[in-house]
Amino acid sequence: MDYILSILIFFPALAALIGILVKKDSIFIYGLIVTGLELLLSLILYSLFDVHEAQMQFIEEYAIIPSYGISYLVGIDGISLFLVIMTTFMSFISLLALNEKKDLKQLILTVLFLEMTMVGVFLALDAIIFYLFWELSLVPMLFIIGVWGGKQRIYACIKFFLYTFLGSMIMLVAMLYLGYIYYATTGIWSFSLLDWNLLLLPFDMQLWLFVAFFAGFAVKVPMFPFHTWLPYAHGQAPTIGSVLLAAVLLKMGTYGFIRFSLPLFPDASVYFMIPMAILALIAIIYTAMLAYAQEDMKQVIAYSSVSHMGVIILGTFALNVEGIGGSIFLMISHGLVSGALFMLVGMLYDRRHTKMISEFGGLASVMPKFAVIFALMLMASVGLPLTIGFVGEFLSLLGFFKVSPIIASLAGLTIILGAVYMLVMYKSVFFGKLDNKKNEKLIDINKNEVLALLPLCFLVVLLGIFPKIILTPVNTSVNELVNIMEIKAVKQSSKDTLRIINVIGGK
Amino acid sequence: MNPNIPSVVIDFAELNFASLLPMIIVIVGALSILCIDLFTKKTDKSLYIILSVLFLLMALGSIIGFSGPVRGMFDLMLIDGIAVLAQIIILISSVFFVLLYLNKMHFHETQYPEYFTLYLFAVAGFMFMVSTDSLILIFVGLETSSMALYTMIAMHNRHNAIEAAIKYFTMGALATAFFAFASMIFYALTGSVELSIISDVLVESGFENYAFVIVGVIFMVGALGFKLSLVPFHAWVADVYQGSSAALAGFISIVPKVAGFVVALRFFEIFVAARDPYVEAILYVIVVLTMTIPNILALLQKDLARMLAYSSISSAGFVMSAILIGTTQATQAMFLYWILFFVVNLGVFTLLWAMRNKDYENYESDYSYERYAGLVRSSKYTAILMALFMLSLAGIPPLAIFWGKMYLIGSAINSGMIYLAVIMFLNSAIAVYYYLRPIVVMFLLEPKDEKKKVLNNSSKALRFVLTTCAIFTLLSIFLIEPLLNIILYYVQSSGF
Repeated sequence: MDYILSILIFFPALAALIGILVKKDSIFIYGLIVTGLELLLSLILYSLFDVHEAQMQFIEEYAIIPSYGISYLVGIDGISLFLVIMTTFMSFISLLALNEKKDLKQLILTVLFLEMTMVGVFLALDAIIFYLFWELSLVPMLFIIGVWGGKQRIYACIKFFLYTFLGSMIMLVAMLYLGYIYYATTGIWSFSLLDWNLLLLPFDMQLWLFVAFFAGFAVKVPMFPFHTWLPYAHGQAPTIGSVLLAAVLLKMGTYGFIRFSLPLFPDASVYFMIPMAILALIAIIYTAMLAYAQEDMKQVIAYSSVSHMGVIILGTFALNVEGIGGSIFLMISHGLVSGALFMLVGMLYDRRHTKMISEFGGLASVMPKFAVIFALMLMASVGLPLTIGFVGEFLSLLGFFKVSPIIASLAGLTIILGAVYMLVMYKSVFFGKLDNKKNEKLIDINKNEVLALLPLCFLVVLLGIFPKIILTPVNTSVNELVNIMEIKAVKQSSKDTLRIINVIGGK
Repeated sequence: MNPNIPSVVIDFAELNFASLLPMIIVIVGALSILCIDLFTKKTDKSLYIILSVLFLLMALGSIIGFSGPVRGMFDLMLIDGIAVLAQIIILISSVFFVLLYLNKMHFHETQYPEYFTLYLFAVAGFMFMVSTDSLILIFVGLETSSMALYTMIAMHNRHNAIEAAIKYFTMGALATAFFAFASMIFYALTGSVELSIISDVLVESGFENYAFVIVGVIFMVGALGFKLSLVPFHAWVADVYQGSSAALAGFISIVPKVAGFVVALRFFEIFVAARDPYVEAILYVIVVLTMTIPNILALLQKDLARMLAYSSISSAGFVMSAILIGTTQATQAMFLYWILFFVVNLGVFTLLWAMRNKDYENYESDYSYERYAGLVRSSKYTAILMALFMLSLAGIPPLAIFWGKMYLIGSAINSGMIYLAVIMFLNSAIAVYYYLRPIVVMFLLEPKDEKKKVLNNSSKALRFVLTTCAIFTLLSIFLIEPLLNIILYYVQSSGF
């Protein structure tokens, strides 16, 4: 299984190409089988993965443009392992729950193509190849929002495309510059991240490069104040688009911070620790308030996503093993939970063709199963202990508590505010009187939908009770990452800071 | 015989006749088409097209196999690496563009065999421009090709075609005057019309009479700026693209500019190598303006051909920056970018040509966006191909032009011009918006009129060209390395 990573990346795209030949009415099964096989592949990868090894595994390298140092280089470690599995899992689940009639074939082929780019981003270790998948992921998403979206879909998809494209172009400048720096110091062209990790960069340069990478990642996450594209994109996207956007595409940004910014610019990361935390804090509190004010259920979840992404950033920039490990765990859990919530809202929308909270009320009496699953996901989203949401949030906040107790406690508001807007929404949708006549004939979720939701419920509980499955491999690699940061820091003060915040637990 | 004048002895071997061979093949081809027309009647255009292809391929063979000395014909010809490379690009692109005339519908201009004679003359003119450093021969080449082009545009025989031709002609005449003026000034300053000697004299004298030098440079910028459609000499481009047939517009967007870039490279090299601050400033301003202004104008267009016109102006600005940067890597990037741009532009214009319809009363122009609304419903593959080429123009990796952009910007960064690199990036980001517009129109809007045949001008030849372009665009990631090596081989051998 030497080529398993390449197979994992290109299998969906190849399947999408061949899938053109499959007839329209059978394409749904085809899509399910392909994503199912992809999920199976990623699980095989997991079984072959050595969880005690901190370094990159299954590395493959082929030179593509050797005269400019660009090669196809992929590898996997504890940080990316579960993101890949989450991606394949969510692609499968979201297809399972798919309830789209218009141009189904094109939609499924587009999703398969999107899956290739998503897996590619998490596996690429060459900066240019990473950028390639990163940008390529915009194209299928553009079509998913633009073709299958709501009324304002064209505005939403163009806004989404332009915002993220502009940000990542600035990132590409920084990548090209880093390539040049590597050439200037060693005399060899290389865009390999493994090579770049050996570079010691002066502090000033680190600052500029950090900011340039930040432009690319922050738009994608999205961090305050670059988050304005997200509510539009979610608002207009079809259910499957929202699920994949929230579950996977947003994680590319936070993953980028961990994979590129932290090890490449350790001093700058320490320097920007507090500013980043403040931006994250604003996102946490401000967008939570916005979420409370929304009248559309999907917008509530969209804003709650931004808020939770703030916690992930906070954990990442705690720069200790707990924080970073917690933020990776939170990426997984947020992917599962927000994906599930978007799917649930989508199911409601399929039945009633509205997402307005005011249109509903008392649904618990007509859709009891739906209400139970919604409640579980909602609790996980809020971060109730023993659900998956608790572990990540707790660890992220714990990690940052060592840096700044004040910011960490303010960020703890996320749980309270989250509970407020989520419970208020739940109350007005599911409890109270069933006073809207249109809601009386609503049918509870059917077999297909249960089939899609049950694995999610199972994971939400399982990983909430036993998070070690994920945390062990993650922490092994994160330990290594923090070590690299400490070794590579050029300023003594950064080394000291890193040592202090990593003192308790962890090592 | 006057004893004061030494007798002239010409040795045929010293003439280096091989240096002229490719152009001669093309010119003989042009003349033979004329002769065939004299003696035969009722011959189809396909005969002339394939004959043109044949002669162009023969010329291509002779230039690839060229192994004589660099100089020839009393030092008039200069067949260095750049010249060979540029001739190869010109010939290959000419072959593809002439194939486009194997279209299905009948158009006025292709009924005349003279059209293809003119085409070959234009190509020969461009080949002369790139393979000399004598300002006089450049002038002759420029005029030969421009005259042919004016006529070819007008032969499309519609009122906007004639308007375009007249506009192109008047502006072109002005540019020609500029060129003559610049040559005159440099001759007055240095006593030579050969760029290598001009360079030597200027550098030796430490750029004496600097005011005159600058005046000469400005005239030259005007003349080349017209050919390369640099801002502020770009006003003709959009009208010419809109007025001429798509096949010819594609040709104009690529081939004349290759010739122009090579002349610009040879000319500005004198000043860039000497790090002349004023000339560099002029170039810098022009490059930035040429990248930015058409980008903004392109946002406002409602017509696909006009949008492509502005996009190609902006690309010309991108490529001009390579001359400003002046390193070997930049020159390499310049050729790489233009080769990739050629492939994608060929694809786009072939598609436009294949979709050509004789009636367009319902719309403002042949290529207005409205015509393409909901194209994906009536012809899926056309829409997908168009989207592929648009995304490639927008610089989405891993499609062709992304690599050119990346390599060019990389070369800017490597020579320390970070600000230039950032300006280039911002412009690429702006450009995405107008490249997305056709995609949005084709895929996301509902069609305006009932279903009808879309590719009504298509033929086997056009489909062949389209497939070639699409495959090249998709697989470009694997072709960059060999291309870079070929370019490097030629560029290095001529010392740029």
